Amino acid sequence: MHPIIRLVNRNLTISLNMGFVIWQIIFPLIYIFVAGFAYTALIHQVPFGNKTLDYPAFIATGMIGFNIMNSTLISGIIIWNDRRHGMFEQILVGPFTRAQYILSNVYTIGIIGLVSASMITAVGYPLFFKQVEFNILTVPLVIFASITGAILFGSIASIISTRLKSSEGFNVVINTVFLFFAFVSTAFYPAQGAPPILSTAFYFNPLTYLVDVVRAGIFGYFNDLVATEMIVLGVGAVILFLIATKLLSKLEL
Amino acid sequence: MLYCIEARSLLKSYGNFTAVDGIDLRVQSGKIFGFLGPNGAGKTTTMKLLTTLIPPTGGQMNILGIDAIKSPLEVRKKIGVVLQQPSYEPTLSVEKSLEKYGMMWNVEKKIRKERVEELLSAFDLVEIRKKKNDDISIGQRRRVQVAREFMHDMELLFLDEPTVGLDPSARRGLLDYIKVKVKDGLTIFFTTHILEEAEYLCDDIAIINKGKIIAVDTPEDLKNKFGREKTIKIHISEQKNVSALLSEIQDCKIEYNSGIITVHSNKSELVLQNILQILASNHIPVEDLSVVPTSLEEIFLSVVKNSNASNNSSGQ
Repeated sequence: MHPIIRLVNRNLTISLNMGFVIWQIIFPLIYIFVAGFAYTALIHQVPFGNKTLDYPAFIATGMIGFNIMNSTLISGIIIWNDRRHGMFEQILVGPFTRAQYILSNVYTIGIIGLVSASMITAVGYPLFFKQVEFNILTVPLVIFASITGAILFGSIASIISTRLKSSEGFNVVINTVFLFFAFVSTAFYPAQGAPPILSTAFYFNPLTYLVDVVRAGIFGYFNDLVATEMIVLGVGAVILFLIATKLLSKLEL
Repeated sequence: MLYCIEARSLLKSYGNFTAVDGIDLRVQSGKIFGFLGPNGAGKTTTMKLLTTLIPPTGGQMNILGIDAIKSPLEVRKKIGVVLQQPSYEPTLSVEKSLEKYGMMWNVEKKIRKERVEELLSAFDLVEIRKKKNDDISIGQRRRVQVAREFMHDMELLFLDEPTVGLDPSARRGLLDYIKVKVKDGLTIFFTTHILEEAEYLCDDIAIINKGKIIAVDTPEDLKNKFGREKTIKIHISEQKNVSALLSEIQDCKIEYNSGIITVHSNKSELVLQNILQILASNHIPVEDLSVVPTSLEEIFLSVVKNSNASNNSSGQ
C-alpha cells in the first residue's frame, strides 16, 4: 500500500468518530430545516441569476458549501493534534516524508469534503429538487467546488495550526475565522439586499465563491461571474496550499 | 566488525549555539549502545540527527550502510524510534493504536493481528486493550508507545529514555524484552538518565557532555579506566581515638562516624593493609569489612565533572 494511502487511512480513523459524523449531519439539518423554514417568513424568495429560488432551497445548497468548509477543520485539527500529541515527529521518523504527510492531509480533507457535500446534497435534496436543473456542468462544478473548497479551507486550518502554540489560541482563532467565513458569506442569505459594506465583504470570503459555484452547478446557471469565481477559488486554493506546505515543511522538530 | 551506525565529525548548530560538536560514533551491529549525558548535553539532538529527523550542520552519517544525509527515507524504513516525548493518538484504543501503527508500517494484516496479541501480553496491556489512550495513565501510555514500535520489523531501534514514567516492574520487563530482541539480532541505541539501566543493559557506553563525546567504552572498561577510587567500610566497636590513629595514613580520605570507618582511596589495597595493621596493634577488633565497587553513576559523575573542569580551564 502506498505511504500516502496508509496515512489517509490513519487520518480517517483518528478523525472520524460517531460524534463527528452525527454533528456533520445534524448541524446542517438544523440549519436547513429549522432556519430554512423559519426564515421563509422573512425571506420568501432569493434571486439567483436568471431564476428565483425558494429560501429553503437556497439555504440547503448554501449548507453544502458550509459543510465542506466545516469538515475541513479536521485538517487543522489533525495537524494540531499530531503536534500536540507527538505524532507529527513520530510519523516523520517513520517511513514517510513531509510531502507525503502534507498530501495525505489534502486527500483526507478532499475525501471528507466530497462525502460531506454528498451527505448534505442527499439530505437537502427534497428541498431543492423542484428547482434543480441538471446539465453537463452540474457534477463537475459541484466536484470542483468540493475539492478546491476543501483544499482552500483545509489549508487555512493547517496554516492556523502551524502558527499557534496553545490549544486555547488555536480554538479561539479557528472559531473566529470560520465564524466570519460562515456568516459573512452567501451561504445563509443573499448578497442582494444586504448593506453595501456587508455585501462587499461577502466577496472577500472564499465561502461565497464556493457556495456560488455549488449553486451554479445545482441550479444550472453558469455565467462569466461563476467562471471568475471558479478561477478565484482555484487560484486561492493553490496559493494557500503552497503557503500551508511551506509552513509545515519549516516546522521545527 | 560490522557497524550499523558510523558518524564522523557530526555537527549541529543553532545560530551561535552548538548542540552537537563534531562527534564521532561507531555502534556495532547486534549490540546495545548506551548514550549517556547530563540534561542538555546533546543526547536528544544526536538522536534526532541519527534518526534523520533533523539534518546535520556538518559531518557524515552512515546508518545501516546507507548515507543518511543523502537517503534519509531509506534509513527510516529500516529503523524504529521511540522518542523521548510522548506520542499517541488520543482517540484510539490501546489495541487499535498498535494495529494502526502496524498498518502505517505496511505490516501484513495477519502478522499485525499476531503481533498485537504478543505485544499486549508482553507489555502487560491486555487489561487496558479497549481503553482509549486519552483515558490511561502516563506510564501505561509510555508502555503503549514502546510496544507500538515492535509492531514492525527493523534492524536498528533508537530508544530515547524509554523507561521514563514506568514503574520498576514495568521498567525491568521492558529491559528484559529488549535483551531478548537483541539476542534475535536487533541493535539498540539507548539513551537514559538511569545509570543502573545502562549498566544492566548496555554492551558499550558513550558519555556526551556539552555536545562532545567524552568517553566511549564497555561499562567494565569505563570502570577500570575512571573508577580506580574504591570505597572501603570497616565496622568496629565504638572508639574515641580512631581518627587520630589513622590520621597518618597517606593517599586516602578517611571518615569515622559511629563505629564505621569509611575510606576513599585510589590505592585501596595498600591503605587497607595499613588500617588493619593499626587496628590490630591497638587491639581494635574488626566486626565487618566491605569494599564498595565503583558504580557507573560515580564514573559518570566523575567523567562529566572532569570534562566541565577542563572546559572551564580551557575557556579561561
